[in-house]
Order: sequence, then C-alpha cells, then structure tokens
Amino acid sequence: MLKPHRVVLDKVSSYTDEAAAFMRRRRHHRREFVRIRFRTGAEADLPLGGPEADRIADAARRLIEFG
Amino acid sequence: MADAAETTLRRAAERVLDNLAELEPELVSAGIFKDRRPVAVTSGSDGWPDAAIEVLEAVEAGSGGEAVDSAHIAASGGEVFVVRDSGLELVAVTGRFVLASLTGYDMRMALRDAARAESSPSAENGEPASA
Repeated sequence: MLKPHRVVLDKVSSYTDEAAAFMRRRRHHRREFVRIRFRTGAEADLPLGGPEADRIADAARRLIEFG
Repeated sequence: MADAAETTLRRAAERVLDNLAELEPELVSAGIFKDRRPVAVTSGSDGWPDAAIEVLEAVEAGSGGEAVDSAHIAASGGEVFVVRDSGLELVAVTGRFVLASLTGYDMRMALRDAARAESSPSAENGEPASA
C-alpha cells in the first residue's frame, strides 16, 4: 500500500503534467504560420521573420482587421 | 458581350459566396477575384478588396516563382485562406482553428461552381450545362 504522502505527490505531479500539456497545446495552437501549397503538390511553411513570410503575414493581419 | 459574361460571373460568384457562408459558420468575409480584380466580395468594408489583393500579391511574391495552388495564413486574430482554381482566386477570412482541409475543399468547390457558371450561363443556378 502506498504511503499517504506518495498519493498526494502522485496527484500533484499528475496535475502539473496536465497543466504543462495544456500550456504546450495552447502554445502550439497560438502559433502563427504562413503555409503555401504549390500546384506540384509540394507544401512550404515559410519561416516567420523572413521578408516573404512577414509581408504575407502583415497583409493577412490587415485583411483580418477589416473583417 | 463581355459585360454579359462579367455579370454572369458576378452573379455566380455572389451565389457561391452565399453558399460558402452557409457551409462555413466561422467564415468572416470572403471575395472572389479574377485577374486580381474583385468579382464579388462579402465584406462591406471599402478597404477589404485592396487588402485581399495585397495578400494575393504577397503570396505570389513569396512563392519563389512556383505556381501557387493555395495558401493558409494563421494569425492571432484569425486565419486567411487563399485558393486558386479555374482561373479564379478566392480569399477568405475565418475565425481561429477552423478545419483547414475542409475550408480549402469548400473554397475550391465554390470556385469551380462559379467558373462553371461563367463558361455555361445555363448552369448558373446549379443546373448542369447539358440539362
């Protein structure tokens, strides 16, 4: 039988694991990206911070603001 | 004659955008473009078509000269989809976390529908050209 403090520790660590997974998922979902698919079927995620991706992302943000 | 064809395309584009809005509850605004000119736009904002054309041009510039089929841009305030098909381009703004593949598919079908109506005005109401 587990000692009582082990039960509490397990509970706490499972809650922190859940919280960490939630934060990871949220970070992933909030990630901004620019993805282009070509006629060839190839797909490219343009690296944010590059001039092309930034131009596209800026234009998209302006469009979103117009609603 | 060209005016009649443009009117047919505009009507078809307006119809398919209405249908798209029904299919996509998260759709905020959308517009169909031909040769970088707006054919039909759902947004009432005056600046929307120019902003959408800027997205189209930025995507073109970012493609490195390769022919673009579609683009998906996620920003904190929403998502922008671009689909090219049948000589037309559809730009759509949606809420965050929509199903990208479904949205892209619906947009592509909308463009094909509009293009079909343009090439065969009798199909404008969704009727096949041979009917």
